[in-house]
Amino acid sequence: MIPAPRGTALVPGRRRRIGGLTLCGLLTALGVLGPWITGHRPGDQFGEFVYAPPSAPHIIDADGRLRAPFIYPLVLEDRLERRYAQDRQHPTPLRWFRRGALVSTDEPSQPWFPLGTDALGRDQLARLAGGTRLSLGVALAGALGALLIGALAGSVAGLAGRPVDDAVMRAADFVIALPAVYVVLALRAAMPLVLSTSQVFWTISLVLSAVGWPFAARGVRAVVASEKAREYAEAARAIGATRTRLLLRHLLPATRGFLAVQTTLLVPHFVLAEATLSFVGLGFGEPSPSWGAMLREAGQGRALVEAPWLLAPALAIVAAALAVHLSVGPQPHALRADRL
Amino acid sequence: MRRGLLRYFVRRTAFAALLVLVVSSAAMLLADLAPGDAFSGFDLDPAVAAAERHRLGFDRPFVAQYGSWLGRAMRFDLGESVKYRRPVVELVAERSSKTALLGATALILATVVGIPAGIFTGSRRTLLTRATSAASLVILSVPSLVTSFGLLLLASRTGWLPVGGFSGGADGSFWLTTGRYLVLPAIALALPIAATLERLQSQALNDALADPSVRAAVARGCSERRIVWRHAFRLSLTTVLAIYGVIVGTVLSGSFAVEIVTSWPGLGALMFEALVARDLFLVAGCAAVGAMLLAGGILLSDIALAVADPRLEELA
Amino acid sequence: MIKPLLTVCLASLVLSIGCRSADAPATPASSSAPASGGDLVASVRSEPATYNRLLPNGQSAATELFTLLTQSRLARVNRVTDELEAWLAEAWTLGADGLTYTMTLRPDVKFSDGHPFTTDDVLFSFRVVYDPGVNSSLADAMKVNGAPIEVTARDARTLTLRFPEVFAPGLRMLDNLPILPKHRLEAAFAKGELAKAWSPSRPLSEIAGLGPFVLAEHVAGQRLVFTRNPHYFRRDAKGIQLPYLDRLTLAVTPDQNTEALRLEAAEVDLMMNADVRPQDHAAFKRLADQGKLRMMDVSVALDPDFLSFNLRPARAAQRRAPWMNLREFRQAISCGVDRQAIVNAVYLGAAVPIYGPITPGNKRWYSADAPSCPIDRDKARALLAGAGLTDRNGDGLVDDASGKPARFSIITHAGHLRERVSSVLQEQLRQLGIQVDVVALDPGGIAQRWQAGDYDAIYFGLQASATDPSLSPEFWYSAGSFHFWNPSQKSPATPWEQRIDELMREVATTPDLPQRQRAFAEVQKILGEELPSIYFVAARVSIATTARVLNPTPAPQIPQLLWSADTLARAR
Repeated sequence: MIPAPRGTALVPGRRRRIGGLTLCGLLTALGVLGPWITGHRPGDQFGEFVYAPPSAPHIIDADGRLRAPFIYPLVLEDRLERRYAQDRQHPTPLRWFRRGALVSTDEPSQPWFPLGTDALGRDQLARLAGGTRLSLGVALAGALGALLIGALAGSVAGLAGRPVDDAVMRAADFVIALPAVYVVLALRAAMPLVLSTSQVFWTISLVLSAVGWPFAARGVRAVVASEKAREYAEAARAIGATRTRLLLRHLLPATRGFLAVQTTLLVPHFVLAEATLSFVGLGFGEPSPSWGAMLREAGQGRALVEAPWLLAPALAIVAAALAVHLSVGPQPHALRADRL
Repeated sequence: MRRGLLRYFVRRTAFAALLVLVVSSAAMLLADLAPGDAFSGFDLDPAVAAAERHRLGFDRPFVAQYGSWLGRAMRFDLGESVKYRRPVVELVAERSSKTALLGATALILATVVGIPAGIFTGSRRTLLTRATSAASLVILSVPSLVTSFGLLLLASRTGWLPVGGFSGGADGSFWLTTGRYLVLPAIALALPIAATLERLQSQALNDALADPSVRAAVARGCSERRIVWRHAFRLSLTTVLAIYGVIVGTVLSGSFAVEIVTSWPGLGALMFEALVARDLFLVAGCAAVGAMLLAGGILLSDIALAVADPRLEELA
Repeated sequence: MIKPLLTVCLASLVLSIGCRSADAPATPASSSAPASGGDLVASVRSEPATYNRLLPNGQSAATELFTLLTQSRLARVNRVTDELEAWLAEAWTLGADGLTYTMTLRPDVKFSDGHPFTTDDVLFSFRVVYDPGVNSSLADAMKVNGAPIEVTARDARTLTLRFPEVFAPGLRMLDNLPILPKHRLEAAFAKGELAKAWSPSRPLSEIAGLGPFVLAEHVAGQRLVFTRNPHYFRRDAKGIQLPYLDRLTLAVTPDQNTEALRLEAAEVDLMMNADVRPQDHAAFKRLADQGKLRMMDVSVALDPDFLSFNLRPARAAQRRAPWMNLREFRQAISCGVDRQAIVNAVYLGAAVPIYGPITPGNKRWYSADAPSCPIDRDKARALLAGAGLTDRNGDGLVDDASGKPARFSIITHAGHLRERVSSVLQEQLRQLGIQVDVVALDPGGIAQRWQAGDYDAIYFGLQASATDPSLSPEFWYSAGSFHFWNPSQKSPATPWEQRIDELMREVATTPDLPQRQRAFAEVQKILGEELPSIYFVAARVSIATTARVLNPTPAPQIPQLLWSADTLARAR
């Protein structure tokens, strides 16, 4: 037997699940609470705070005394060079539950941006939160679709003989080889100029599913084809198990690990792909925030060095991928679990 | 077995040819359906545009244009680019070698880093393996546009490497110069592939460790190294190889952003130009090369799959 | 026609009757005297698809630059001083009819292959540009009111050019036309195969020109290397033969961010599109303070972006929102937008608010009297009410008479600064109670929607071929193909467009500059009232080069530095 990891065998698995679900919960909370955290809408533009850096809340003031949380307001020093200074003379207290915001300042001219602002002076936290629903929703819907189609196509191909197998797999090759951008361009031309958010949402989900399934299909087919030749499958068949039963009972469970890792690969990939699609006109229109579009912005110019807080959506995507990884991935069968 | 192999090869080559044809045709159709054409735009007088469209036969229905293109394509003439007024074959050939160089380097790099990393993270659970897995997730969560630009920025600040571009053969030491210019785009292209391979390999190895045959080996008291490399690795190859072929095939589309950002004069950049210019024949030509690469990659991976896992009836 | 990145022609050549002295233009003075030798590297975003500017696909920025470097024209517009300068032509006179120019060519000029340059080459170039079989993208720009210029040669050095009608910009038009070598291209032209003659598929040695450089090497997607043309005709004030540079390399760098990084790393000395983007300013400034880069302020940009409404009658008929065609509605938008906010947010302050198509950068033609409307939301609301749009149900959005909220879409350029400006417009108009849908498309998609007339409004920009409005008839006349809001009209659709047509005729056919300026100021006034296109901001152009670049003469339009590549020099 594999030496059991320290502690009981069940605990790490459950801990992983709990960790994953906690992350999921946090992301959901971010998405739901988003508009109320700082009270800024994702589209609100603060023209005097373009590329404002994140400002941390303080509880110890200049004299070293403990006070209620406050921030030092930002003062624009040089617009062209995007330089801000903290006004240490006038600490602005943070208020809870005022004007429909969880936390805000009293001064409308001194808003608080915990994660800084983007190129149009929009609250990065509000946008990050606002983008959760759209970006994660699209990516999860797309990944689910891709995995369903992929698992179905892959298992059919793996179980059936050559003609079906060939047909399915060559169709998969075709989908992979066809540049998706062209499909989207043509699709966009056939659609009305102004699209509603839900139209965009479902179109992108469909496109992503259509583009992503062959990857899953190839892996599932390989696993199914390999497993069905194994002793236990042969035995099951010998005692008269139907193909469907064989597939559902024995072969598909074997692909679970692969499908889980595909999900963790597809989710971040799809969040980013959504930004590429918006480049050819199929994206959530302004001012709807999406993580992919925000990251594309971060790739512009030298934001990477001068406004690194614009990369915050990348961390959110990591969190999402990690959440998926932990909550749907099977428990690791490590040979040796070293002390952590 | 040998005759079977030959038959298999012929069959797959026929499929590959069909794939190339279908993909390039479909790309052409889609580019035709996309809004605008090679002559519309704000820079050309509509009268001049109309006359050019007529002269080059782009005012005919798509079916007629496609028919004459197909006729020529059978003789390996992929038509003439509207933007460049040059044969597509010539343009594509000019760029393909650069993309092949970049793609091959990136693939080797990604494989050499990604697969061992995956074996490492799949077989153990330490702080280091968790950090490696986390690093993979981070790489996968940053667009390659940003990664490439970050690398360029690093090069620009440190002066260690040239900031993009390519000037292989400018002086005597061809490979040295080429190598210097190749480093950045190759790393930028390899990073997400390596991360993908790491994740796949890690999971596959992890699954393999749960396999009865591996457990049996553990029970026999085989050494850890032997278990991982002899038994589990072999088992894990099934899924990794299945996906590997697709990865080879998608290197071209992945190199798109990297080539543009790092000014690498490859096919990805040309493909982008063709798309922006709605240059139908060039679009079809680039798609054809992409399909060829994919067909080749998949064929290789299927053969490797069959060799690694004899239970598959692939070559029978 | 409006051709992006075409040569700048600042207008107002005074068509004086009589002899015009035409010495070789003096090179601008510089702190350290330029000397021959050395090389520079410039970055370009794309490479030329053809080497022949006269071909239908020769209108790209890259071919334009290639032509500036390797070819010459009869007369050149100096993009800094605005003056027309004798170039291949040595001198000219205008006849008493006001139509016929008699022109003498510079003596002993040779092509880069050593072949002598004569009037034959000029005649050949005109023949090619007007040839319907060639379908040149320049043909339209070389015609006056649709009619060609008649060119005849008296001898090998004397030409007459007869304009079909009195044309105020006159010989400024010649700045467009490169004079091509007849001995190299005649055979291909006769066979109808001009497109094949100078293509990248053919040996480079077949190309010859009168410009400062010759193309020595072109590696696809990588670089174009130019070496000095030993037969180039220009000398500087001290008699040193130009160009100063031995070698000029154009490094292909498609991505703008990478281009900026390569300049920072001094891998390139200058950028073809040399204007510094607002977001690069801080980093460049730091390097300039260290002496690694040099920054220069040039002027306000000449070709601003605009928000253009679709005023085609067909569109108006099918639209159920008649308010969109009302002048008051457009005036409300102009008054209801805080232009300074766009300047501050999108351009980080490096721009100026504007109210019409002619910016203060165009000194000769800018009219300060054109109507303007700095932000005034109350006035904007009153104007909206005048267009029948008021908030009828208290939801903060203005509604039309039937209670439908006012809503329209703006098509804009995906991934461009224009997308950001559109977002600011959207947010600002929301505060007026107007809902805007911003739809970002790729340029091909925008062009297609525009040509089909399938849009409400577009936020876009056009690069005018010249600063003299008479050289952009396609934009100004109602019959013009780039009369943006309602192109190619059979007869003027509105009285004000008819008035503009009349005034533009006056601007084109009146020799007297002040009179032309007055007429054009009235055009600007009409546009400022009718606002078929609304202008918000124009960028301030500043450029950056490495310290190696000597003797730069920056102009506001692209290519800001390479327009006078022959006098660029390399610091020792």
